[in-house]
Amino acid sequence: MFKELSRPFQYPRMKLDKPERASAPQASRRPQKAKDWTGTLKKIWTVLSRSKGKLALVLFMVVLSSSLALLGPFLVGMAVDDYIVSGDTGGLLVLLPVLAGVYALHSLSLWLQNYTMIGIAQTAVYTMRTRLFQHFHQLPVSFFDKRQHGELMSRVTNDIENVSSTLSSSAIQIFSSVLTLIGSVSVMLWLSPLLTLLTFLVVPAMVLGMKWITKRTGVLFKEQQRNLGDLNGHIEETISGQRIVKAFSQEKRVIAEFKEKNERLRQSGFWAQTFSGFIPKLMNVLNNLSFAFIAGVGGMLALSGSISIGVIVVFAEYSRQFTRPLNDLANQFNTLLSAIAGAERVFDILDEEEETNDEQDAVHLPEVRGAVSFSHVSFSYEKGNDTIADVSFDAAPGETVAFVGPTGAGKTTLIHLLSRFYDPDGGSIFIDGHDIKRVKRESLRRHMAFVLQDPFLFRGTVRENIRYGRLEASDEEVEQAAKLADAHSFIMKLPDQYDTVLEQDGAGISQGQKQLLSIARAILANPSILIMDEATSNIDTVTEIKIQEALQRLMKGRTCFVIAHRLNTVQKADQIIVLKDGRIVESGTHEQLLRKNGFYHELYHSQLRSKVVGV
Amino acid sequence: MKKMLSFLERYVVAIVIALLFMLVELAVELLQPYLISKIIDDGISMHHFPAVIQWGAVLVGCSFLAFAAGIVNSFYAAHVSQGFGYDVRERLYEKVQSFSFANFNRFPVSSLITRLTNDVTQIQNTVFMSLRIAMRAPLLIIGGVMMAFVVNAKLALFLVLTVPFLVAFLFWAMNKAGALFRLVQERLDAVNGVMQENLAGMRLIRAFLRKHREMERFALASEDLMARTMAALRFTETTMPVILLLMNASILAVLWFGSGEVRAGGASVGEVVAVINYATRMTAALSVFTMIIMAFSRARASAHRIADVLETGGDLEDGDGETPSTRMKEGSVVFSSVSFQYPGTRVPILRDISFEIRPGETVAILGATGSGKTTLFQLIPRFYDVQEGSILIDGIDIRTMKLEQLRRLIGYVPQEVLLFTGTVKENIAWGKEDATMEDIVEAAKRAQIHDTILKLPKQYDTVLGQRGINLSGGQKQRLSIARALVRKPLILLLDDSTSALDAKTEALLLNALKLYRCTTFMITQKISAAMSADTILLLEDGKLLAKGNHAELLNHSALYQRIYQSQFGEEAVRHVQGAK
Repeated sequence: MFKELSRPFQYPRMKLDKPERASAPQASRRPQKAKDWTGTLKKIWTVLSRSKGKLALVLFMVVLSSSLALLGPFLVGMAVDDYIVSGDTGGLLVLLPVLAGVYALHSLSLWLQNYTMIGIAQTAVYTMRTRLFQHFHQLPVSFFDKRQHGELMSRVTNDIENVSSTLSSSAIQIFSSVLTLIGSVSVMLWLSPLLTLLTFLVVPAMVLGMKWITKRTGVLFKEQQRNLGDLNGHIEETISGQRIVKAFSQEKRVIAEFKEKNERLRQSGFWAQTFSGFIPKLMNVLNNLSFAFIAGVGGMLALSGSISIGVIVVFAEYSRQFTRPLNDLANQFNTLLSAIAGAERVFDILDEEEETNDEQDAVHLPEVRGAVSFSHVSFSYEKGNDTIADVSFDAAPGETVAFVGPTGAGKTTLIHLLSRFYDPDGGSIFIDGHDIKRVKRESLRRHMAFVLQDPFLFRGTVRENIRYGRLEASDEEVEQAAKLADAHSFIMKLPDQYDTVLEQDGAGISQGQKQLLSIARAILANPSILIMDEATSNIDTVTEIKIQEALQRLMKGRTCFVIAHRLNTVQKADQIIVLKDGRIVESGTHEQLLRKNGFYHELYHSQLRSKVVGV
Repeated sequence: MKKMLSFLERYVVAIVIALLFMLVELAVELLQPYLISKIIDDGISMHHFPAVIQWGAVLVGCSFLAFAAGIVNSFYAAHVSQGFGYDVRERLYEKVQSFSFANFNRFPVSSLITRLTNDVTQIQNTVFMSLRIAMRAPLLIIGGVMMAFVVNAKLALFLVLTVPFLVAFLFWAMNKAGALFRLVQERLDAVNGVMQENLAGMRLIRAFLRKHREMERFALASEDLMARTMAALRFTETTMPVILLLMNASILAVLWFGSGEVRAGGASVGEVVAVINYATRMTAALSVFTMIIMAFSRARASAHRIADVLETGGDLEDGDGETPSTRMKEGSVVFSSVSFQYPGTRVPILRDISFEIRPGETVAILGATGSGKTTLFQLIPRFYDVQEGSILIDGIDIRTMKLEQLRRLIGYVPQEVLLFTGTVKENIAWGKEDATMEDIVEAAKRAQIHDTILKLPKQYDTVLGQRGINLSGGQKQRLSIARALVRKPLILLLDDSTSALDAKTEALLLNALKLYRCTTFMITQKISAAMSADTILLLEDGKLLAKGNHAELLNHSALYQRIYQSQFGEEAVRHVQGAK
């Protein structure tokens, strides 16, 4: 029993005063705070300003409810002083209905302000969320190349959630706290300046006490945060690495490591929580002290007859209402800061420049034969560092063109330029003789289909995933496409055939099968121009052999652009364009290039050789 | 929730103490109106100044008592919540460590991590809050009513009358809000799902011009979320005005009947004031209610998610381990009519696989993705149990061995390289805690990574991972191989572990592996690597299509010929066949 009782006092004492350590993490936490306060607030305002009328209503209701909240105790004091003490039932009969009205109105105004504010806040959050989503679809592809999805996701979820909760509840609370504070103080001053002064005596004590505590909790919380991060890191690593832990039967060891970190977290967490627990206690004792003061001094004053009993009662009540908003404000302030920082991160993305719009005179291409020509095209992602330099070539309708070259040669960039994810800095690209700059993006991409390295599948049925290629396709057309893509037979083996629900990452089917689905998708789209960017490089050679036929069927009769790492997959192309550092080094058919004895020859043989060395 | 409560059993003493001290605080708070009524009635009304001072002093003394009690409460409350969090986290982690692979398939890694981190913290905070704030409200209501009775029983009756309504209303509201917030969480997951998918598939969406469709989908999900959030928030925010109204009504009643009592001499003015004061205090204590509803509904969801993990039963039965380990030092591996499908799925991954491997042989496994190569591998260390047939090592069914004993025999190099934060040395020795420096260097040399390590800034003491340097894919692969080699395994499993190596290094590595007296299985895509194996197993659709050495397969297997052709070109095949 005694052991249990003494447990909380046996935690090893944490060293508190480590200013040099405390300052360093603080500096790194700074970016959490908003950089441009006024700018961000202005932007929040533009989102909110659409509900100006409703906001005015809320504001009015907050003023109303705050004054009613102050009026209530005042009227109670009056009832006690004027009617109960004197036994004036008639007066009480008049006052009580008034008080009832005040109470009812108070509840009503509270309800109405919350109801309206939640509507405003959630609409604003909805607007921000949708705008962010739409904006993602307007941003150039390069934006996504530079950022991690996880980071972007956290903006959409955590940051917006943060703004949401702050707008819904904290905004009103902060505003009404301020109002209550002002109201209480003025009423107190009006009732008795002397007692008010006494109440204020606790403020310096409050500030000092808070400082003493927060100085300690600051360090402790950082320590706790660090230990928590450490523990979470360990959890993440050992759970993601579960296969290894199990295979090497190291469970006991990781558990021991975990315990050690968990223990450290418990210790720092204990002290952080204990110290931060002091804050409300301190507020309470100071509150009580001022209460006692008011009663004592008030009693003295009442004895001398300078104030009434009712005033003391009312005053005691107001003095409580005075410290509470102070406490609330201190609590809400941090939430507000982090919400503004969150909003700023969201607006940062909204401020990113969008893809340029179509030209005014852009045309619509109803049909495309598939003649593509690049004329002196150059492009750079960063100024002065050419990714593509002076590239020219022609592809006749139905031809297959392969881009070959080392990593970073600019193969994928050419594809991006052709599909207008980017526009060239110099030169032009023509499709059937039309400069694609003068063609509507939508119209252009409608004639193209893509089979990418990572066969992306959406959460949904197999059928839906294939139909993504052409939304209006009938079920027969979907199955026809699947048959052409050699996907039909494996689909029929799935638990619900075409209605089998695939998870987002396509779990449950193999990489090769995923690629077959994406080929079916492209077949269904029936494009004039087909683009295959490393379509088979994530697939092992055995699978590649298997889907080769499906690919051939897909490529038939279309202008195809193929990027492939393995040279054996491009040998049959009508034209092989060899790129190096963004320039065309040579081009021709496989045989022509081999005879040239140039860069292609070198590439080809280095690949071939590497296979034979192992023998 | 029950499960979570059982974790608190250990802390009953501390909880009781924390609550007791909170009661002291509460008592003081509740005494205040009483003391004030004394000051008013005995002192001011009677014009008796010493009584004012006396009761005032009692008030101050009580405040300090409450403060001291509050501090002690902080210690105990923190002890309970931190201890609770510590215990739950530890149990959860141990549970997860005991998971089989089938269990892991049920819970995505990311979800397990959130459960261990966020969910535990969420509950821990709620426990702390309960001991400090949430319990206050009910205790204050009870105490308030009791004190009001002490002051004046008749007037207190009006407060008592409201309490059943209040309690019924609060319970109803709590339940309803919980359900509403669960719906919000579901919708939020849906919105995030769409967003996640769009970010990941942005390029494809652009390419197929599906922007508008996706926007519609998102708008739909987003509108739904908005509606649900509004409903939930509006509901919880309605509770407060209702409570206020209820409590204020009782104040009105006290005022009205109080005045009658005062006239009749049944109550003093100070008593009326005191009872009203109790009513307002109860109201104030209830103002945290909205916050409590939200915290509890979240904690409940977290508790469910944690209990979900804790209640998952392991499905691998450990063998009785009576096999003396001395019997297993050869390393022969026999698959006898092995069939397997993943738990909870209908499609068999492996069907009727049989083969025998002699000690020390090298086996290459080839096949398309989805043909079952990795699955076959995972059966050997018993990550899963076979449905039919059996696997024997040195003639002993692996199901009769102790898991740990079995896995100690095996060096496993997975397809995806996983290194841990720490130094190079620690990472290699990870597989064998008592490895000496010589062991480590030897393993590194054989894995062809020693020279690379020597070029690192701090050689074997270089820190890897997020805080350290990053190695290339091929370097990581070799380090991962060294980690398996340092254990001097009887059976070595290489799951496509040389894919990022150039041909020369790969050949050196394969040669070095021959120095170990171990049976080696390697999954590979490269014919060049398969050629040097003693046996090649060719898998297709979960069946063993062909088995034999390179020359045999080249002669008999059409699929093998095609693979060979695709990697070496037609000339090579003609060349081989010509030579024959």
